[in-house]
Amino acid sequence: MKNGRFMVGLVGVAAIVTYLVWTGVSDTMVYYLTPQELMAKVADDPSFGSVGVKVSGRIVPGSHEEGQGELLHKFLVRDIEDETVTFPVEFRDVLPDTFNDSEGMPADVVVEGRFENGVFQANTVLTKCGSRYEAAPEQLQQASG
Amino acid sequence: MVLALGALLLAAAVVLFVLQPLVGGQSSSLERSDDEMSETEALRRVRLLALRDVEYDFAAGKLDETDYRSLKRELSAEALEALESSMREARGQGSAGLEAEIAAVREAIGRGTVCSTCGHPNPTGSRFCSVCGSPLTAPSRESDAAERDALE
Amino acid sequence: MNVVGELALWIALPVAIWGMVFGFLGGRERRGDMVLSAERSVYVVFVLILMAALGVIDNFLADRFEYAYVANYSSLDLQTYFKVAGLWAGQTGSLLFWLLLLMFFSVLCVWQNRAKNREFMPWVVGILQGIATFFLVVLLFAGVNPFEKLGFTPVDGAGLNPQLQNYWMTIHPPTLYLGFTAFTIPFAFAMAALFNGRLDTRWIDVTRKWTLLSWFFLANGIIFGMRWAYEELGWGGYWFWDPVENASLLPWLTATAYLHSIQIQEKRGMLKVWNMGLVILTFLLTIFATFLTRSGLIDSVHSFAENTKIAFIFLSFMGSVLIAGTVLILWRLPKLQSENQIESFFSRESAFLFNNLILLAAAFAVLWGTLLPLISEAVTGDQISVGPPFFNRVNLPIGLVLLALMGIGPAIAWRRASGRNLKKNFLWPVVVGGATVAAFLVVGARHPMALATMGTSAFVMTIIVVEFWKGTSARARIGGENYATAFGQLVWRNRRRWGGYIVHVGVVLVFTAFAGKAWEVRIDQTLEPGETAEIPSPLGHTYSVTYDGMSTYQATPTQVQGNLAWQAQALLSVRIDGELVDRLTTEKRMYMAPQQAATEVGIHSVPLEDFYVILSDVADLQGAVAENDPEAQTATFTFLVNPLVGWIWAGGFVLTLGSLIALWPGTEVVRRSSESQGTTRTRSAQPEPAVAAD
Repeated sequence: MKNGRFMVGLVGVAAIVTYLVWTGVSDTMVYYLTPQELMAKVADDPSFGSVGVKVSGRIVPGSHEEGQGELLHKFLVRDIEDETVTFPVEFRDVLPDTFNDSEGMPADVVVEGRFENGVFQANTVLTKCGSRYEAAPEQLQQASG
Repeated sequence: MVLALGALLLAAAVVLFVLQPLVGGQSSSLERSDDEMSETEALRRVRLLALRDVEYDFAAGKLDETDYRSLKRELSAEALEALESSMREARGQGSAGLEAEIAAVREAIGRGTVCSTCGHPNPTGSRFCSVCGSPLTAPSRESDAAERDALE
Repeated sequence: MNVVGELALWIALPVAIWGMVFGFLGGRERRGDMVLSAERSVYVVFVLILMAALGVIDNFLADRFEYAYVANYSSLDLQTYFKVAGLWAGQTGSLLFWLLLLMFFSVLCVWQNRAKNREFMPWVVGILQGIATFFLVVLLFAGVNPFEKLGFTPVDGAGLNPQLQNYWMTIHPPTLYLGFTAFTIPFAFAMAALFNGRLDTRWIDVTRKWTLLSWFFLANGIIFGMRWAYEELGWGGYWFWDPVENASLLPWLTATAYLHSIQIQEKRGMLKVWNMGLVILTFLLTIFATFLTRSGLIDSVHSFAENTKIAFIFLSFMGSVLIAGTVLILWRLPKLQSENQIESFFSRESAFLFNNLILLAAAFAVLWGTLLPLISEAVTGDQISVGPPFFNRVNLPIGLVLLALMGIGPAIAWRRASGRNLKKNFLWPVVVGGATVAAFLVVGARHPMALATMGTSAFVMTIIVVEFWKGTSARARIGGENYATAFGQLVWRNRRRWGGYIVHVGVVLVFTAFAGKAWEVRIDQTLEPGETAEIPSPLGHTYSVTYDGMSTYQATPTQVQGNLAWQAQALLSVRIDGELVDRLTTEKRMYMAPQQAATEVGIHSVPLEDFYVILSDVADLQGAVAENDPEAQTATFTFLVNPLVGWIWAGGFVLTLGSLIALWPGTEVVRRSSESQGTTRTRSAQPEPAVAAD
């Protein structure tokens, strides 16, 4: 009676939210991989990654190129553990300020987008300066040494 | 060595300050203080305020006449129940004049002049409680709806 | 100072443990001397932690780079106030700062209650010192001691990340931390109530202001973060559903739910178990927020280095609190039974209940989305993650319902509302809402979600304005006051209620601002000096932006300005219909120590929109900076028109005002009068009925 209506309301809200979350995840989820994992999956299934994928790795020093006359950035990303695994990225937006492909301190990067025909078309590029805090003491060592 | 001494002094001061009550017998109170409401009194207050809420909701047009009357009847009964409990708690069961007091309170609820702070039943038309001085904000039935609003 | 500070941390640990043990023991054995000792330990720990914090700050100010923390976050030429703020620049210092704020609030609480709420205080002190013990254990044993030394002394520090060197860095983290730590007090009282068995609304009444204070700081802290992101990170956005952002949003969502559900317990004696659960959950989420930010568990632009020892300690703590809380609630279940039932679907109780469900649903969705990488990895071996599309998709409908509830709540009666009156009260607001949607449709706006938000906002505003109007005009008519005075008196006499309505207005403004995103305009264009770009605003006019030129700077061995290696600043003039409206600059910079690039944006704000410019790229940066060559100054700009962004900050001000009104002293817990004590003494009048007729 009274409580009946509430149970309906409660169950209704829970059901709607569960539905939203469920479809939200299945429609927008991306695999979050390392370059190694990405290459392995692509080797198994060449169409993998054409729906959406997120990869975390490190920028290959010196690999940054810019398109002439158009907003286009190209760079290479490598696996943090296995340097030999790399793939090229193309990004048609403004790079974040912390983007760094210098020899000494290349930035860690997370790219999200589609991997097609061997090239990663990135929608988002996020760079972290996480390694900076560990690198700092070594840098400082040089300063005082 | 100054540092070591300083640290020792600091530690000693800390220990003294913290340990002193246990050694010296000082203590802080663990009892409810005189002016804090007991559970019964707190409940009484809430029930009386609910009566006031219903007046406001009616005055603000959120309730129609039928619902207002039936709610008011229910809430008055609940408030009376809470008042009785708190009066018995304060004065002890079966004390002289308790029943007469309860009857007075019942009447005052009907008139809307029970003080929501101390529970004292005030005469008709009172605006302020004669015991504790709190404004009696539950307006009497006869007053203007707008007047009720203004008393918010 | 610094050595004493470091020592102070070590001394604080046994004192905190003492306070925890004797608080609980004193409560159980009813020994006032033990409790007094425990209360004194609170003051002591606060002083010690203050000494430790001052020690850290002293290290910064004295440039002691042998300390790892100082070396990582400071440099010789860093401005003084950033050195002071260095206390919360990084992981280890932040934990100490958190503990400092916690102890500050603990001292406030203990002192405030030295002669009242004595039946709760033993356990409150025990809990507070227990939490302090936890933080001290983390600081001293999890490798995050701010006094840790490097083993050598660098010549200079690494410097503070330039993106942190701005005004917001000094206020955003502290404000959030104030919000997180303030909530510990309601949690402590809730646990105390479970221990001592006094489970009516007293523990809630006593901590209501603390809850509001915490909520206030959280809301502002989140808004400051948004402002910081908007102005400094330079992407034109203010919220990215980043794990750390989400972590701060979660306790805010549950605290908002809690603020409303306690009113139901207050009025009807219901939802006792729910409120206990909510207060524990919110507290756990505040700890979770620290944990998420400090452990690097989920990748985030914010995160600091990973530390698995910390992860273990935090998770154990949270797990223990959860288990203890559950056991305590189960033990006290008989006393936590509801005294009443909800009588009608159409009642304020019902609206509040839905408010709670919706807020918790949002919290669940955000938590799920944030933890998905971890959960999926544990279950399937692959990490899957979701981003803004997921969070927006789930939270937009939820936000819309929440917005509507903000209007329904005030307009509906307690217990049961009469159907006929409901229709009468909602008629005009619905009409206004509908008219608003129609107006937008007429001018060509089509985005359904945004239109629904606009309509609902108008609906809510109408209801709130009418509530204020009814109250003010009745007062004015009867009391003969003018409307301004009547309004002031109305609000002042019932600060909880009207302050709350003002907060609602602020939140409506913020939600409306979010809807503005639907009409965002973005144009990327490359311009040579002298060229003009045309950017249309959804409001109908067009911004004509002329790239006037570039001013550059490059540090030379002999002349160094600030911490800049080089700087390229584009100068733009903004015109509407030929009239100069503003001059903006946007630039790219390179700092020297630490070596890092940064972009500064240019913003022209008017009430209805922001015109936002980012210097995305300079074709020949070398040429532009080194030779100051106009030929080399061709630049690519990103132009944005961000409708209604200013309403977020305005909403923040309004909700601050509302919170301050509701927080204003004078509405504390009502005290007994002597009448009910059985004596005939007359006491002086209480100024007003303290608890709101709400």
